[in-house]
Amino acid sequence: MVEGHVPFHILIIDDEESILDGCRQTLEKSGYSVTTCGDGTGGVALAREVKPEVAFVDLKMPNCSGMDIIEILSRDMPDIVLIVITGYASIVSAVEAMKKGAYDYLPKPFTPDQIRAVTKRGIEHRELKIEADRLRVEKARMEKNFITFVSHEMRSPLVTIQQYIESLKVIAGDALTGDAGEIIGRCEKRLTSLQDLIEHWLDLSRIENGTFSEAKAPVELCEVLQKSIEEMSPLCQRREIDLRYDTGGAVPRILGDQESLLRVFSNIIGNATKYTPPGGSITVRTDHDDYYVYVIVADTGQGIPQDKLPFIFEPFYRVRGKEERQKGSGLGLTFSRKIMEAHDGQITAASKEGEGTTFTMKFPRLSGL
Amino acid sequence: MDAKKKVLLIDDDKDFLMATKLILEKGGYEVFLAEDGKSGVDMAKSVGPNLAIIDMMMETWSEGFNVVSKLRTSDPGKQIPLIMLSAVDLQGPYQSFEPPDDLPTVDLVLHKPIKADDLLKYVGRLIG
Repeated sequence: MVEGHVPFHILIIDDEESILDGCRQTLEKSGYSVTTCGDGTGGVALAREVKPEVAFVDLKMPNCSGMDIIEILSRDMPDIVLIVITGYASIVSAVEAMKKGAYDYLPKPFTPDQIRAVTKRGIEHRELKIEADRLRVEKARMEKNFITFVSHEMRSPLVTIQQYIESLKVIAGDALTGDAGEIIGRCEKRLTSLQDLIEHWLDLSRIENGTFSEAKAPVELCEVLQKSIEEMSPLCQRREIDLRYDTGGAVPRILGDQESLLRVFSNIIGNATKYTPPGGSITVRTDHDDYYVYVIVADTGQGIPQDKLPFIFEPFYRVRGKEERQKGSGLGLTFSRKIMEAHDGQITAASKEGEGTTFTMKFPRLSGL
Repeated sequence: MDAKKKVLLIDDDKDFLMATKLILEKGGYEVFLAEDGKSGVDMAKSVGPNLAIIDMMMETWSEGFNVVSKLRTSDPGKQIPLIMLSAVDLQGPYQSFEPPDDLPTVDLVLHKPIKADDLLKYVGRLIG
């Protein structure tokens, strides 16, 4: 044993004095620290006190069942390696003990070499188990933090480029007109879409690895819709689209995450603006029955061909259209559907080419109003 | 003519420092740069800025908060306006980052990237 190294602790519980002595001599010679006990109850108490790495337990002792000791110790001390000592005749019970948490068994009679080998194997097993547990915890932690890490790494360079463009515009001032100004403007637009893409991708990843907020609380849908309308109004005004919210009566509450729902509604309205020509309209309304609450967003845009409709929620799927004035990230609808699923809800689209598209979001209603 | 007001920028991204410095200089400020939290705190003492802008995520995700805490415990950081910069949306519903309970107080939190006009407007509002 290495100098200064705390020796592994072995506990032996057996009613035969000769076995205890033999094991102690053998194992102490190999550098282990050994505690012995002649009865079961005392053995359990000792195990809790000295916290051995390995415990040998005789299955057949008067007044006590080794099987019970195995059960208690494997439950109380998950890292302990339990080895059953048993006569040749009781292989069946050794198997039973292993089902209850024993790692190995040692048939009587055994030689010093055998007990040394079993002990060594048990210690190695324990180390591996502890290491595996540690790695499992570490892996879970890394998975959880991965998205945040990646998000920082992807955003940082983008943010810096955007900041450089800002400073370039300040320095160049009036010199940045004509083609130069146009180029800078285009760079900014592309950067913004890249930023949108990253944000949407991150949102999806968060939903997939379970770190997206699921702080659900009763939500007043009309409040969220109102917010979303406010958010999207300037865009609609710029595009000369009439954005209307038909508030019709009380809306039953639902259980949800307000922030992510706001994103969904703004996504759907934003999507509608891309396919609705100037002079068209987008109407948002709500409806409900005994079980569900519906949010309906209808536009008077170009519509989506029937054969394309089933695919619009797929990542990066695009309905090719002449009227598409601004490209999105290609993940907005996918994100929306995931969020709706997280709300035990549904999102569906119906469309008639040339007349418009209607998105319906369906939520289970909370009982009462 | 009045002496230029001093602004201290603390961020571990050299390029971001450079870009922001250019904007602030154009706005008539004297700008000092620190690339990590510790030198930022030291520089605040030696330079005596009128305002400091601190990035939240530096060596660690919350290094910015540490820097603000340190600045707030002694002069001149106690007296001057502090702006926290962040590339992540702290208000977002999906951040696994949890701000500390004893969130140190800053005068303003701004989101990266920041428009040149906005930056100069906010800094101007705080220190003129």
